[in-house]
Amino acid sequence: MLGRASLSAAPEIDGVRSAPQEITRRRAFWRAEWFLFLLFVAPNLLLFGIFSYWPMISNLYLSLVRWDMISPVKTFVGSANYAYLFNDNEFRMVLRNSAVFTVGAVGGSLLLGLATALLLNQKLRWRNGARAVLFAPTLLSGAAIGIVWVYIFDPRFGLLARLLGGIGISSPSWLTDPAWALPAVIIVYVWKNVGFSTVIYLAGLQAIPQDLYEAARVDGAGVLWRFRSVTLPMLSPITFFLVITALLNSFQAFDIIKVMTEGGPVDATNTLIYYVYEQGFVAYNAGRAAAAALVLFAIMFAITLFQLRYAEERVHYA
Amino acid sequence: MRRGGSSLGLGQVVSYALMALAVAIIGLPLLWMLLGSLKTNQEIYTLPPQWLPTEWRWENFGEAWNAAPFGQFYLNSIITTLAGTGLELVNATMTAYAFAFLRFPKKEWVFVLLLAALMIPNQVTILPNYLTLSDVFGQSWINTYQGIVLPGAATAFGAFLLRQSFLGLPREVLDAAKVDGCGHLRLLWDMVIPLSRPVLVTFGLISLVAKWNDYLWPLIVTNTQQMRTLTVGLTYLFDQEGNTDWGVVMAASMFVIVPLLVIFAWAQRHIIEGIAAGATKG
Amino acid sequence: MTRTVSRRKVLTGAAGVAAAATATVGNVKRSTAFAAPAVIKQAEPISVLYWGSYSAALGEAEQAIVQMFNESQQDVRVEYQFQGTYEETAQKLTAALQARQAPDVSLLSDVWWFRFYLANALAPLNDLIAANEVDTSDYIESLYNEGVRDGVSYWLPMARSTPLFYYNVDAFAEVGLEEAPEFWSQLVEVAPELVQKDGDTITRAAFSHPTGASYIAWLFQAVIWQFEGAYSNPDFTILINEPDGIEAGEFYRSSTADGWATLPADNEADFANGLTASVMASTGSLRGITENVGDKFEFRTAFLPKAEEFGCCTGGAGLAIMAGSPPEKQEAAFKFIEYVTSTEGTTFWSQNTGYMPVRKSAVESEEMQAFFEENPNFRTAVEQLPLTQPQDVARVFIPNGDQIIGAGLERIVINLEDPQVVFDEVANTLTEEAQPVIEAIAALG
Repeated sequence: MLGRASLSAAPEIDGVRSAPQEITRRRAFWRAEWFLFLLFVAPNLLLFGIFSYWPMISNLYLSLVRWDMISPVKTFVGSANYAYLFNDNEFRMVLRNSAVFTVGAVGGSLLLGLATALLLNQKLRWRNGARAVLFAPTLLSGAAIGIVWVYIFDPRFGLLARLLGGIGISSPSWLTDPAWALPAVIIVYVWKNVGFSTVIYLAGLQAIPQDLYEAARVDGAGVLWRFRSVTLPMLSPITFFLVITALLNSFQAFDIIKVMTEGGPVDATNTLIYYVYEQGFVAYNAGRAAAAALVLFAIMFAITLFQLRYAEERVHYA
Repeated sequence: MRRGGSSLGLGQVVSYALMALAVAIIGLPLLWMLLGSLKTNQEIYTLPPQWLPTEWRWENFGEAWNAAPFGQFYLNSIITTLAGTGLELVNATMTAYAFAFLRFPKKEWVFVLLLAALMIPNQVTILPNYLTLSDVFGQSWINTYQGIVLPGAATAFGAFLLRQSFLGLPREVLDAAKVDGCGHLRLLWDMVIPLSRPVLVTFGLISLVAKWNDYLWPLIVTNTQQMRTLTVGLTYLFDQEGNTDWGVVMAASMFVIVPLLVIFAWAQRHIIEGIAAGATKG
Repeated sequence: MTRTVSRRKVLTGAAGVAAAATATVGNVKRSTAFAAPAVIKQAEPISVLYWGSYSAALGEAEQAIVQMFNESQQDVRVEYQFQGTYEETAQKLTAALQARQAPDVSLLSDVWWFRFYLANALAPLNDLIAANEVDTSDYIESLYNEGVRDGVSYWLPMARSTPLFYYNVDAFAEVGLEEAPEFWSQLVEVAPELVQKDGDTITRAAFSHPTGASYIAWLFQAVIWQFEGAYSNPDFTILINEPDGIEAGEFYRSSTADGWATLPADNEADFANGLTASVMASTGSLRGITENVGDKFEFRTAFLPKAEEFGCCTGGAGLAIMAGSPPEKQEAAFKFIEYVTSTEGTTFWSQNTGYMPVRKSAVESEEMQAFFEENPNFRTAVEQLPLTQPQDVARVFIPNGDQIIGAGLERIVINLEDPQVVFDEVANTLTEEAQPVIEAIAALG
C-alpha cells in the first residue's frame, strides 16, 4: 500500500549490486532511469496539468475575486469570499452536512460491505449470483437511479413505506423532511456503492490463509476473537485502500443529490460539492464557488495526507 | 459454521436468509426500474403503485428509440468510451510502472501530486476546460470527439490501483528477468502486463463504466445532436414542463444500462477477482 | 393526450400554419428587398444557430416550427440545437460566450435572461422591431414588458406560462363547493372537510405545495401580491419582510401547520391521483395532468384565488439575440423570432405545447377560439393572462433570488418557522446579493 514504507522503499530490480568502480556507470544508469520515469509519467501529468492543475490554479485566483463568470471584469476582493463562507450560517450547515454524509456514506458502505462479504464468504449456494446482483448498482449512473429512489421514498406509497408499514412502522417523509433527507441520500449512496466494497472485501477474505485461523483455533480463540485477531488485521490494507477512495468519492458525490433533492429541503442535503455547484452554476458567484472548492480540496488533501502519513502505520502488511 | 453435508444447520439458514435479504434490498429497486420501462405513463403515476404492469407495454422501447437518434448516440458513446478507456489504461499502466519500479528523486511527492488530481472537483474544471478546448492553437475542439475524451484521459485512480497491484507482483520473477538483461520496456510488456491482466481488465471496466455514464462534461462540450452521447441523449426524452413519459425514459435508460450489464456478465470473473487482486496486494 | 396524438396534432397544425405562413411570405420578402439590394436573393441563405431547452413532445413542436420557418422563406436557415434544461442552457451559454462560441439566438427562461442582459451579451431589439414593423402593442403587455429595460426590448416572449388553480371537481362537490373558491378563505373554511386521513397519514389533502425552491417561490410570487405585498420594488428595495409579505407567509405557514396542505415529492402526481383536492401549477402542466387524471375524476382549472386582491405572475421562457453575432445574423435571427412570435407562430406553438399565446390577435383568432372550445381548461389560462404581471426583480434579477426566497419558504412550510424571522433573514440576503446587480445596472448607464 501507499505510505512512507512503500514510497521510500520501492523495490530495486536492477539486479546486480554495485561495486565501487561501477558508481559512475550506475549514475548514468540512474539518469537514464529518471528519464524513463519522466517519459512514463509525462502524458498523464501533462494531461492533468492542462485539465486539472491549471483549472485548480486559476481557481485559486478566482477565490480572491468577485466575478459572475460572464462579465469581462473580475473585481479583486482579497479574502472576502473566505470571510463570507466562514460567517455564513448556510456554509456551516453545508460543512456539517458534508461531514455527516461522508461519515455515513463511507462508514455505511464499508461496514455493510464487510458484513456482506463475511456472509458471502461462507460456502453458500448461489453466492456468485448474489455477488453479481450486489455489484450491479455500481454500473448505473447516479442520475438514473436517483429518479427511481424518489418514488421508493414516497411516504405513503413508496416501496419503503410499504415495507415499513408491514412491520408496523409509519414512514417518515424522507425527502421533504429536513431531518430525514440527508439519511435518505446516504441510504441511496450506500445502496449504490456497497457492492464495490463487498466484492473487494470478499476477495480479501478469500486470500487469508486458512492456517492462521487454525492456529488461532488451537490457541482457543472464539469466533469473535478470531475475527479481531486474524480477519481485521489481515483486511487492514484493503480497508485502508477503501477508506481513501471512498472518502474522496463521497466528498464529491453529486449526481444523487442533484437528482433527488437539489440540496434541499431547507439545505438539509446541501453538501460542499453541491454548494460549489450551486454557487458556481446557479448563483454564478465564481469567487465563492472557488473559495468553497478550495475548502473542499483542502479537507480532502488533509485527510488523505493524514492517512498516508499516520493511519497507514496501523495497517498490517503480510 | 458447519460445512458440507446436505443438512442445513441453523447458522446456515440464517446465512441464506440474510443473503436473500441483501439481494432483495439491492435487487428490488433494479427490478422496479425494469418493470417501469414496461408500463404506461398513467400507470407509473398511479398511486399506490403496482409491481406488475397491467398491460406490458413493449412499445416503450420502440418509442424511446425513435424519439431521438439513439443509433448515433450509441456510436458516439462507443467511440468516446473506448478512446477514453484506452488512453486511461495506457496512462495508468505507464504511470504505475514508473512509480512501482523506476527510481526518481522525491518520487513520493510526485505521487502526492498525482493523488491531488483525485481531489479536484469536476465543477472547478468545467469552465476552464471549455475555454481551453475552444481555442487549441486557433482551432475549436468544442463539439468534437477529442473534446469529449481528452479532459478525462488522465487517471490518478488507475495509476494508484495498478501501482498497488504491480508492487504485489512476485519480485523474484521480475529480478530474474532483469538479470537476464531485460530492459524496462520489455519487462513491462512481457512480464508486468501479462501478470496483471485481471487488475488491468478491472480498471478498464471501472473506467469504461465511468466514461459511459458521464453526463455533465459531454453535455457541456457537445452542441449538436450528431455528437451527443447516450446519457446526454436521455435528456432528449425529458419535458421541460415536467410532462415526462416515464415509461419511455426508463426504457431508454435500459439502452444505457444493458450494454454495461452484458459486458459485466461476460467479464464478471475478471472484474471481481481483478478488483480484489488490485486492492489486496500492497 | 398520448404521444401519437400529440405528434399527429403537430403535423396537422404544421400544415395549417404553413398555409398561413405562405400568405405572409410575400411581406417578409418584400421587406428584405427594401432592406438590401436584390443581389442578396441569389446569395446563400444566412444560417442562424438557435439554442433551446425543448425536448420530447415540446422538442417536436420546436423542430416543427423551425422547419416551417425554414420552408416559409429562402433567406434564412435556422438550426435548432437542444441544450438541456433552462438551467443547463444558461450554463452552456455562459461558457460559450466566454469562448466566443455562442449561438445567434438563445431561449432563456425568466430567471436567466437578465444576467446576460447585464453582461451586455444581448442585442437590443428596438431597431430590428422597427425595421420589420412588428406591432409590439399586439403582444400581451405583461409578457412583453418583462423583457423591456429602459424602453428597450431585449427578450421577446415565446414559451410563457402562468400559475393556475387546479381543483378536483368531485372532491370539491363533496364539501359543497360547486365552483373554484374565489378567495383562499373559502378554501380554508372547507379544508378540514376536504382532508381525509387514515390514522395519522393524510390520504387526501385540501392543497399541496410543490417541492423545489424555485417553483415554490414562483407560486408564492402570486400569493404575496394577493396579500398586497411584493418581493421587491423595481429598484431592488426588498419588501418581502413588510407586514403584507409576513401576512402571506403566515398564510403559507398555516396551510401546513393546520394540517390541510401537504408537501409531497410530486404535487402534480398527487393531484392526478386524488391525493390532494387542489394545487397551483403552471399552465404548462395542463397536458400532463389531463393525461394522468384520465377518467379517474373530473378536474377543472380556475383563476388563482384571491386574498385581499387578485394576483398572478408570468413565467416561462423567451428569445434573445446575442449581441456578439454579426449584424446580418442578428437581422436573420430576428426574422425567426418574428415568425415564432407572430400570430400564426404563437397559435401553432400554443396549441401544440400548452404554453400561452403571446399575442392578443392570436387569443382572438378563430383558430384559438375553436381550440378553447375543445379545451375549456386552457381557456381559463388565457382569460387570466391579461390580469398577470411580470415578476418582482428580487426573484428573477437577483442571482439565485428564486432559490433564496424558496429556501425561506421551505423553512416556513416545512419547519414552521416564524415568517417574520425567516423573511427578515431572506431580505438581508437578497439585499446583499442585489448589490452587484445594482452596481452593474449603474455601470450600464
